[in-house]
Amino acid sequence: MAINVNTVYQTVLLILNKEQRGYMTPVEFNKIGTQVQLEIFERYFEDLNQQIRVPQTDTDYADRVVNLDEKISIFKTIGNTTYANGAFSLPAESGSSQASFTTVTEVNIQAYPITTITANQLASGTTTVYLDGVASTAYSINGTTLTLNSAPAAGIDIFVVTTQDDFYRLGTVIYSAGALPTQELERIDRGDLYHLLSSKLTAPTTTYPVYVYERQKLFVYPQTIQSGIEATYIRKPMDPVWNFTLSGNAYVYNPDTSINFELHDAEQTEIVLKILLYAGVVVKDPTIIQVAAQQVAQEQQNQKS
Amino acid sequence: MPIPNGGLITETNRQYYAGAQQFYITSAGVGQTFTSTFDTNLVFDNSDPASNGYNLNNFKIFTSPDANVWAELTPTSPTASTTGTTDNNAYGPGAAVTVTIIANNTNVLAGMSLVDVSTGAVYGTVTSITGPTQFVCNLTIQIPVSTNLRFQFSSPWAVLSPNIITVNASLSIGTYLKIQLNENTLGESLGNYSYTRLNDVIDNFLIAYVGAGKLIPSVKRTDVIFHARRGLQEFSYDTLKSIKSAELGIPVSLSLQIPQDYVNYVRLAWVDKQGVLHTIQPAEKLTSRPYYTPAQDDAGIPTQDSNSNNLEVTSKVNAAWDANDPRDISGAYTEQYSEANIYWQGYYNGALGQRYGLQPQTSQKNGWFEIDERKGTFNFTSELANKVIVLEYISDGNSYDLDLRIPKLAEEALYAHIIHAILSTSANVQEYVVRRFKQERSAKLRNAKIRLSNLKLDQMIQTMRGKSKWLKY
Repeated sequence: MAINVNTVYQTVLLILNKEQRGYMTPVEFNKIGTQVQLEIFERYFEDLNQQIRVPQTDTDYADRVVNLDEKISIFKTIGNTTYANGAFSLPAESGSSQASFTTVTEVNIQAYPITTITANQLASGTTTVYLDGVASTAYSINGTTLTLNSAPAAGIDIFVVTTQDDFYRLGTVIYSAGALPTQELERIDRGDLYHLLSSKLTAPTTTYPVYVYERQKLFVYPQTIQSGIEATYIRKPMDPVWNFTLSGNAYVYNPDTSINFELHDAEQTEIVLKILLYAGVVVKDPTIIQVAAQQVAQEQQNQKS
Repeated sequence: MPIPNGGLITETNRQYYAGAQQFYITSAGVGQTFTSTFDTNLVFDNSDPASNGYNLNNFKIFTSPDANVWAELTPTSPTASTTGTTDNNAYGPGAAVTVTIIANNTNVLAGMSLVDVSTGAVYGTVTSITGPTQFVCNLTIQIPVSTNLRFQFSSPWAVLSPNIITVNASLSIGTYLKIQLNENTLGESLGNYSYTRLNDVIDNFLIAYVGAGKLIPSVKRTDVIFHARRGLQEFSYDTLKSIKSAELGIPVSLSLQIPQDYVNYVRLAWVDKQGVLHTIQPAEKLTSRPYYTPAQDDAGIPTQDSNSNNLEVTSKVNAAWDANDPRDISGAYTEQYSEANIYWQGYYNGALGQRYGLQPQTSQKNGWFEIDERKGTFNFTSELANKVIVLEYISDGNSYDLDLRIPKLAEEALYAHIIHAILSTSANVQEYVVRRFKQERSAKLRNAKIRLSNLKLDQMIQTMRGKSKWLKY
């Protein structure tokens, strides 16, 4: 389930080009698309907080909390943590957000432009380079350029894969050991921790463990727990990419290397409207800004009233 | 009775009554794992009966070829060990020494120890198998020529993850393995169905009473744990049945230490030769153990030692009380102390009831006790020396993991207690809501007390048959 990036781009262009208002390049679209997707994504959590305090109807498809949860569920994931130096590190990569690039070496050519992975993805993710299927470390990446350390022979397959560090928001931390029931850890502040540890009635136990969340690490108590900790979390959506090949002076959409919007299908109209809103700023057309802003406001009002 | 099928009972009849869980071995090999489904968690320290930690285990592992004759799985049991004799060479000590035995033995496995059958000396460990007669070993002691060896796992099984048993020994296909709880452990689990674990109460409460749209939209789990435990403490004092008691002998020092989990006594009673209990009375109206006994100067001012602390002297009150003859207090005849059997009839019986002016409180012959709060001891009067007593007392239900449970008859009262405790300490909760739950807590606690008082119609009728009016039913 995803919103096709080409459909959105074409719709935006269609509305934008009416009456020759202007044009949005793929690069502009990709950047604005990323911005819009994150904006909508972040709003889910505030909306959920609002809606959870309002009595909901039990009718199918009309429960706003359930509908919001459906939108968020796309990004819910679970990952293992690793223990080191008294703390558990967070699961950084869900593996859902991967981008790859494939090419073949030419003799004595060391530098290759990576066309299907953005510089942002390369910078924020974990990149692995395979030469003829074997992981290599003899390379460097600067921006979107891969440079091999030594001049290669011709015909070596280069495969670059980047897994995004997509941890966004921590959910539930759970502890499981052997055949014991899985336990949820309670999140506490360090200010409470020492009172808890001092109180015999409420001191954390392996049945009811607690954790302090600091510096993107989980400090779990009792400290005898050194394994078996998993964390549910919300991952970041992948940046949308409308990728293309050049045909003369025309951009031709390349579905294989493009990345769709990951938001729920129900968000398509809002994505288009919000991109138009930013597009109005880009092309300096206040009419578009006004109309798009009104439409977005009306849609949000409908969702919350 | 049916096997567990989704109800609250999760143990099979055999697990509950016999403390046994049996597995059929469907594939041969080492390192097989078996998951315990007992309600009781397995406690493991060591699988070698020769080690001290073995006694900490709360279960044993047995194997059987036919599920009929069972043998405990120990380092020397046939399942976990095998034998062989070395050839005419001495081996080791050293790492990666190839040891040769004279007859083929495919039961020798990596990880086994090499033990001298005669002396019990441990030479080292097999690290890998080269062939049916040759094994690469780490040897710490030299193996003499032609030594009879027993190859055994020092730990034939272990609990590496909670409630999951890993068997290091090789198990044969078509055989059986059994987890057998120790007798004490089984005894502790019998009758558990009448209780709900405090952990379950806490989890149930968080599920059923906390959440969006409920009176308690959110609460810290530690708060619930606190109020649940406090509730259990409070209930232990006056609602729940007192189940703690200890049989103790009174030494000549006439002093016994207060039990570790003691909160208050219910009764102290000495036991006669018929096993009948005779309540020992507290001496608090007669005497007490002074907490401080400072040495005083002529002006009555406490004196200090070189560390500026008050000097203490021996208590004269204690000395006087210890030296007294209880008959001087009770006014009893000598012979009345020689036999306390309640059915005893004697010559002096005629005098009973004829000595007017006696204080009923002190007219008893079962001795006195007092509590020395400073030393943490019960102290008894001298006629109780060398007698066996039963100390019944209450704890707070929080002392041991096994205690952390609530009778099902009082479970609802504990939920009501937690709700009231949370609502009454939360901001922005209307007073009428708090009062409603205060009443609910009170009513449910009263219900629990009535239920736990265990009044049975037949017993009441039997008691009332001794009265002038018979109850008919």
